[in-house]
Amino acid sequence: MPHKYREKTIIPTIMGGYPRPPWFAEYLKKLEGSQKENLKEISEEIEQRAINDILDEQKKAGIELFADGQLTWQDFLCHLCTKIEGFKMTGLTRYFDNNAYYRVPVVASKLELKDNMISDEFELAYKTQPQTKAVLSCYSIAELSKNEFYNNKEEVVMDIASIINGEAKSLVKKGAKYIQLDEPSLLQADKNDLEIAKEAIKKIVRGVDAKFFLATYYGDASNIFPEILDFNVDVIGLDFVEGYEKNLELLKEYKTKKEIQAGIVDGRTTKMEKREDVKNKINNILDCCDADTFFLSPNTGLELLPYVKASEKLMNMCDCFRGEKYD
Amino acid sequence: MTKKLLPTTIVGSYPKPKWLNKMIKDHKYGGVSDKVLEQSYTDSIKTVVKEQELAGIDILWDGEMRRDEMTSYFADHIDGFKIYGDVRVWGNNYYRKPAIVDKLKYRDELTIPEYKYLKTITSKGIKVPITGPYTIVDWSFNEFYSKKDEAIYELAEVINKELKALVRAGADYIQIDDPAIPTHPEELEIAKNSIEIATRGIKAYTGIHICYGDYSKIYPDILEFNTDQFDFEFANKNFCDVEVFKKYDYTKDIGFGCLDVHTRRVENVEEIKKNIRRAFEIVEPKKVYVDPDCGVKLLPSDIAFAKLKNMCLAADEVRDEIR
Ligand SMILES: [Zn+2]
Repeated sequence: MPHKYREKTIIPTIMGGYPRPPWFAEYLKKLEGSQKENLKEISEEIEQRAINDILDEQKKAGIELFADGQLTWQDFLCHLCTKIEGFKMTGLTRYFDNNAYYRVPVVASKLELKDNMISDEFELAYKTQPQTKAVLSCYSIAELSKNEFYNNKEEVVMDIASIINGEAKSLVKKGAKYIQLDEPSLLQADKNDLEIAKEAIKKIVRGVDAKFFLATYYGDASNIFPEILDFNVDVIGLDFVEGYEKNLELLKEYKTKKEIQAGIVDGRTTKMEKREDVKNKINNILDCCDADTFFLSPNTGLELLPYVKASEKLMNMCDCFRGEKYD
Repeated sequence: MTKKLLPTTIVGSYPKPKWLNKMIKDHKYGGVSDKVLEQSYTDSIKTVVKEQELAGIDILWDGEMRRDEMTSYFADHIDGFKIYGDVRVWGNNYYRKPAIVDKLKYRDELTIPEYKYLKTITSKGIKVPITGPYTIVDWSFNEFYSKKDEAIYELAEVINKELKALVRAGADYIQIDDPAIPTHPEELEIAKNSIEIATRGIKAYTGIHICYGDYSKIYPDILEFNTDQFDFEFANKNFCDVEVFKKYDYTKDIGFGCLDVHTRRVENVEEIKKNIRRAFEIVEPKKVYVDPDCGVKLLPSDIAFAKLKNMCLAADEVRDEIR
């Protein structure tokens, strides 16, 4: 039964990333070593077990819209670049302000889809849990990489967009009903970039029968308001941990009918939020939301938490609604 | 401490012998006693100290044989930290990321036993590396303090206590490893205060090692830090940072990273000589310490040795040439 609160349907979800179950981390270490090269074929049976483990953790915590956890991804969002012909993975660099690194993808030739990006792992999750959200990215992976081939950023973004569009179509064929585009880099976009991102999203959603989420995090969205409200997506994800006050103001100032996915607990710390604080936050955000459905999630992926703390974080978030199913 | 021109040194870590790793693992699963593990540590320290001596290093360290990692090693020995499990750094590499769950308090000696033992087995100069309070806090979760700087300053007091005892034990060269500093240039004042607290009343030569950062964001402001020396990486970025430091009058000694630790290629003596000479564009030779960019622990040990040996030969030749 979906949670009703203040006459809205509340759906607890996660952003996408989840820490690897410790046994699976060990397995990958043994299989792949710790070097930057030689990624090996992962046994499907083992991957299925790992995904089932973390789906189970999410379920126990109270999550209703799930994710496969990106358990085999080595480079955060730039993992997607490893699935695109034309990208070359190079030296390590810091991933935003995390104490974590990714290989910088370099665009060396025309970008084309190499093989399926995430639809195989999505399928594994979908088999166990049909309410699974698939996570992709476009503008941000262009921003996080270096272009040595195209004339300008726009060309890179648009070619990635067609590839993502193709991937979104295969995801839908495999059952996907929810597709999230993670765009943390969009928060630094200027007006021209926003125009590019908007066109790219138009291209991504074309002919794809799914509910699209546009997720932003690692800060507030003042740079991209109000333009983002015209983007061709159904749900807008905002970071109400690092950008709480600013994002609240933005929602107040620019009323929107779009659904909101609110990142309300900090996905990057083991510190557990006080329930009262979270509740207050949610009430304040709901005051500014018109849509009937409202998604709750941590503000970021949970992949940089210790395994045991990820489920605790989710449970703490979901607990804010236990016993409050009705007004 | 050595008064030699262009002294050679290492940043701190050295490859652990394979057999030590095996002993650590076997010990963890109960196959090896504490006593045997302890013997393995001292044996491996003797080995890597001898290697450094053979390479020609003037100021050395025990290669951090007893440390698993530069944050968790200290967190394990300071009250107030708890480690819930591994956190990914990249790919299949993880670290035991500590969480601050209580007031940070001095508990165990951190570097003193390492130092005391090393003193008994070498007559070379000794540099004691310790991770800075800023970096330890930045690389930990914070569940206890309402503000990050409170945690940093509290930890700086803990480190200060350790450094005082370390100097009493005879240490005359301390290196604070603070690679997190350039990742938050907006917190430079906090980092500076943390060094101030950590080194308060310390009568020893001190350096601060900072690798992998955009130095232009913290320079020249870091010249205000209370330290005798900064140790930077240069080789990894092809010495382009020399220009950054030339822009303003550089007033400290410099630890000049002239070996790239991220490549297995062994730089030849001529090449390293040229690298060392780049330091003279920043400061006069008497202010230069010659070392690799960072710890060499990720290299195979024969390659680490070959690189350090060439580095020392290069320093010898440059020293003769500029005399
Ligand atoms: Zn370093």
